[in-house]
Formats: sequence, structure tokens, C-alpha cells
Amino acid sequence: MSPPSLATHLLGGTRSAVLAALLLHPEAALHVRELARVTGASPGSLHRELRALTALGLLLRQENGRQVNYQANTACPVFEELAGLLRKTVGVADVLRAALMPLADDIDLAFVYGSVAAGQESTRSDVDVMVLGRAGFGVVAQALAPTHGMVQREVNPTVMKPADFRRKCKAGEGFALNVLRGPKLWLIGNDDDLAELAQDRPA
Amino acid sequence: MTLQNLLKIGRLKPHAPTTQEIRRLLAAAERNLVDARAEIISDETRFDAAYKAIMQLALIAMLASGYRPSTSEPGHHQTMIQSLPLTLGLPNATWVVLDALRRKRNVNDYQGDPIEPEAVGECIEQATSLLATTRRWLAEQHPEYL
Repeated sequence: MSPPSLATHLLGGTRSAVLAALLLHPEAALHVRELARVTGASPGSLHRELRALTALGLLLRQENGRQVNYQANTACPVFEELAGLLRKTVGVADVLRAALMPLADDIDLAFVYGSVAAGQESTRSDVDVMVLGRAGFGVVAQALAPTHGMVQREVNPTVMKPADFRRKCKAGEGFALNVLRGPKLWLIGNDDDLAELAQDRPA
Repeated sequence: MTLQNLLKIGRLKPHAPTTQEIRRLLAAAERNLVDARAEIISDETRFDAAYKAIMQLALIAMLASGYRPSTSEPGHHQTMIQSLPLTLGLPNATWVVLDALRRKRNVNDYQGDPIEPEAVGECIEQATSLLATTRRWLAEQHPEYL
């Protein structure tokens, strides 16, 4: 069995997902159904979790008529520490996505691959990021540079033209196939987009 | 961080540069850059040649400034890249790209991940630009070594 990620192991899957959704977006107030959608947890288990986290002062509960929303309580004494832990673990994808957003027009697909995507990272693991599009290596490296400090690891981009990636997949090149078939944390695009790209239909 | 600080923590050593060594390194960097543009060889080898030119140019700037890297210390490639804003006054935006190329080389050397064409192009572009910067800097600051 592969070890779970650090945050999942410490906090449990549902709890770390709820905390990441709220503490990494402290401006957002989310309804239970929205939280269920972004975390993949059932509303039933979420209700219990949200009540407990609110009672502990980590979350704020807001009633708007019949609607109940939850939001991070930034005044909680451990908010910064907990948000930092989440940013460096489950929040890595959020941090990277935000960093690449200014280049979104020049990026077709972007995802984390390798040990971090597989949830098998050690604290020393670099974050491997694949960027497919017409953005150049230099601008991608510059966009990702500030994230090293935020996630406390080295972030290493691989930047390719979609046509090059498709050609390497079709040629059966080991690295491209491993990336294509391996686990991913999606930053821009999804598995269907990649499957389409890897086929030989014209873009 | 200053060059003096890097000297204090043992990353650099003092050095008395000679015209001959600077000229030899400059010629080597130019030769490597020519090799890097040869499309008949593999992306990996072209990248390596361009990367080597970057290291040689960083070394020229460091030697001419009166220092050399302490090669007994691990991570002296990182020190070389780190020194560029201090020697040539390289802007941060350029520095972060050179540092990304350094890590790319590490990953290629030690994990065998291939070098993609975009990274080869970037490495050659950066080496070309660094060669021009180094030549200009030498002409202005240390014309005695040209």
C-alpha cells in the first residue's frame, strides 16, 4: 500500500480536504453541498466535521436565511500554521495553478506528475510539473519561481509543445508514456483533454 | 548575500585572475555555444554544451571579480548561478531561469528524465545572452583581461 500524503495521514482525508478548501481560500464562504462537491465527501459526514471544526474555532458558521455557509476563521490562533501545513501538502496544486494562471492563454494543459502526484512524496521530493502549450520554458520557470518558497520544495517544470508530446507518446518513448499513464494532479485541463491530445487527431 | 559573505561561509575562495585563464574560458564558452547549436547531436548533449557555456561565463565573472568557487564544497553549480547577480548584476528574472536550467540538468543527470526541446532552446538563448553580457561587462569593468 502506498503511504497517504502527509496531510491525509495527520488529519484524515475528509478533514484535510475540508480544511484545504476553506483555509486556503479564506475569502470563500461555502455551503455544505459545495463543500461536498469539492472534497468528494458525503454531506452527512461533512455536517459532523463542520460542527466540530466550528466548535473548536477553526471555522465560522454563517446563517443566511435558510442557507448555512462555512468560512475559515482567520482570527483562530493556529490559522496561519494550519494554512501553511495545508499549502505545503494538499494545497500544492492550488499554489501552482494560481502561479500559472497569468500564462493560461499560452498553456493548453498543465499537471503535476511523478512522486508528488502519486502521493508518495517524501519531504525531499521535488514537484514535477508538465506544461503543454506554446509558453516557453523561461516564462514558465519565472512564473513558478515564487512557488518554491510557498511549498518549501523545488518545483521543476517540463515544458513541451503539445505536438511534441503527442509524437513522443506515439513513438512509445518511456518518459512520455510514464507521464501519460501515471497519476496526475491537474492544474489546467483534465484527463479527457490529455487523452484527446495524445491521440493523433489534429489539434 | 554578497561575494564577501560567500567567502566567509566557505563557498568561495579568493583568487588572483590571469588574462590567459579568462581568455581560455571565454574561448571555451564560445566553442560550447557553437556545439550546442549543432542539431545533429541529441537534445541532452546540446543542452549540456549550452549549460557548460553558462557555467564558464559565470566562472569568468567570478574569477575577474577576484574569487573562485570552492569545488570541494557540494553545490558549487548553485553557487555559480547564485553569484551572477553579484558579479554581472543579472536581474532576478534571468537568475530564476538559469537556476531552473541547473535543476533541469540535475534531474536529467541523476534520474535520466529527458531534456525537452523547449529547455534546449532556452539554455542556448540564455547562454548567448550571457556571453554578450559577460563580454560587455569585461570591456567596461576589466578591459585588461580581454
